[in-house]
Amino acid sequence: MNASTIYLALFLYFVVGSIVARRAGSKIGGGVNEFFLAGRSLSGIVSALTYSATTYSAFMLVGLAGFTYIGGVGALGFELIYLSGLILVAFFGPRFWLVGKKYNYLTPTEMLGDRYQSKAVAAVSAVAAVIFLIPYSAVQLIGIGALLEGISGGAIPYLAGVGIAAFVAVYWTWTGGLKAVAWTDSLQAAVMLTVAVLSVIFIAYRGFGGFGGMFAQLETQYPAWLSVPGPGFFSINTFVGLTLPWFFFSLSNPQVSQRLFVPRSLGQMRIMVMGFLVFGFIYTLVSILWGFSARLLIPDLAVADSATPALLGLSIVPASLALLVMLGISAAAVSTVNSIILTLSSMICRDVFKNVSAGSTEDKELLVGKIFVPLFTAVIVAFATLRLDLIAALSVASSAGLLVMVPALIGSFFWKRGTAAAVLSSVIVGGLVATIFQYSGLRPLGYWPGVWSGLVAVVLFIGVSYFTKAPVEKADEFLGYLRDELGRRKVI
Amino acid sequence: MSLERQRIFWGLLFFVMILAAFIIPFTPLLNDLPKAYGAFLFWNLFAVIVIFCLGIITARWRDDDER
Repeated sequence: MNASTIYLALFLYFVVGSIVARRAGSKIGGGVNEFFLAGRSLSGIVSALTYSATTYSAFMLVGLAGFTYIGGVGALGFELIYLSGLILVAFFGPRFWLVGKKYNYLTPTEMLGDRYQSKAVAAVSAVAAVIFLIPYSAVQLIGIGALLEGISGGAIPYLAGVGIAAFVAVYWTWTGGLKAVAWTDSLQAAVMLTVAVLSVIFIAYRGFGGFGGMFAQLETQYPAWLSVPGPGFFSINTFVGLTLPWFFFSLSNPQVSQRLFVPRSLGQMRIMVMGFLVFGFIYTLVSILWGFSARLLIPDLAVADSATPALLGLSIVPASLALLVMLGISAAAVSTVNSIILTLSSMICRDVFKNVSAGSTEDKELLVGKIFVPLFTAVIVAFATLRLDLIAALSVASSAGLLVMVPALIGSFFWKRGTAAAVLSSVIVGGLVATIFQYSGLRPLGYWPGVWSGLVAVVLFIGVSYFTKAPVEKADEFLGYLRDELGRRKVI
Repeated sequence: MSLERQRIFWGLLFFVMILAAFIIPFTPLLNDLPKAYGAFLFWNLFAVIVIFCLGIITARWRDDDER
């Protein structure tokens, strides 16, 4: 595809998004709550769209389609079990929201620190999130760089793609904090879903005469792709190893759990949850059908992740549609990256800076948070430029690494005996296990790093809690407040 | 049903459903059925049922001005 056409499309996308970001940004007041949480006043629809755009990255139409290409229907099971992880939000969402309002929490890690009465818990959890989410974000930029380079036949250099995506992400975030991010996310979510649905319908009818034709061809030509383990990729160990950490994504990943603080009411949170579920279900199906289409139309690819670029290059796909899909994938990546940058910046200013500086004011805190927006972006770009093996390993390990916070989060709402020492040991040791196992390729008993890091975190959290002193007074007050409120609000 | 009982009921129901989503497609019931109405349909139905259940649970939530 012509490079100037791609540049023009990206420029228009940037201009429209910037208008939305500036309009949203003009409405924010002062203070950290306004900048990082949009004043806890988002509507359910915007919350649902930003939750969707933040959760679903370039992985869907590239990585998940690739999984389907090599492994078949197991990819659907993996992604829909992940989607069912929203069950956790039915239990924990209102709890996060209630204590967030009462204690004015800015970040999920601040909540952990207060609940376990330890500044070290907040700081260590925040740093762990930075360690795992920076490489994960870098991989998003690497994806955009590679996609633009591939689709333009090399005319758009890899670094130009990375730079453009980073600039868009940081500009929109800087313009108006979460309000700008949420509104541009909403725009991007609409683009992602519309383009994906239209393109898969188009390919199904142009390529196979409809979805019935697609499945009829799969059943005759690639029957193994319709069962598990099927062609072999999705052995039960791989399936569990991939799926288990992602099931806990809605709790373990701070850029989405922080979203539980922002709807303006429980009714709006309900719209957020249900809206996300519908979005996620459709987007998952589209990505899987995309992968099946690639399997049937271009069966001899050496690298599964190239299924999407290869599909876009086919003659049955008009150039205009390919351009829109490219924009949709870029939007998915940018909307994930800018949300992560914003969340990590809020964690640094609240959980690290505020805890170590004695005379910090809210203005100073906000300034530090804002400074970290471009700073984190620069680090992510640097990582994307290096393309080190460790970055890929840390990115893959992100779900396993962040999983180690889940026992502490569940414990904070359901277990009075949990202690700060237990949180620290489970997060630090669990995080190390995830990183080392991922980097070295260790798979004891055939199980993936996420299974082991999760297990280590659970055992340490429970075990260490029994030998150390719990913050009983805080636990009683925190859980007592929730018990009363949950009863009044009919939350299970 | 008290909230505590509802919590246990839904918790157990979801646990069984998720366990089924992990296990059933790998059993001979579905792994010998390379059809669109095999694992593909099973996982789609699983997701639809989960969404339906979450619709029921969240519909009961009440805000201050609704009581």
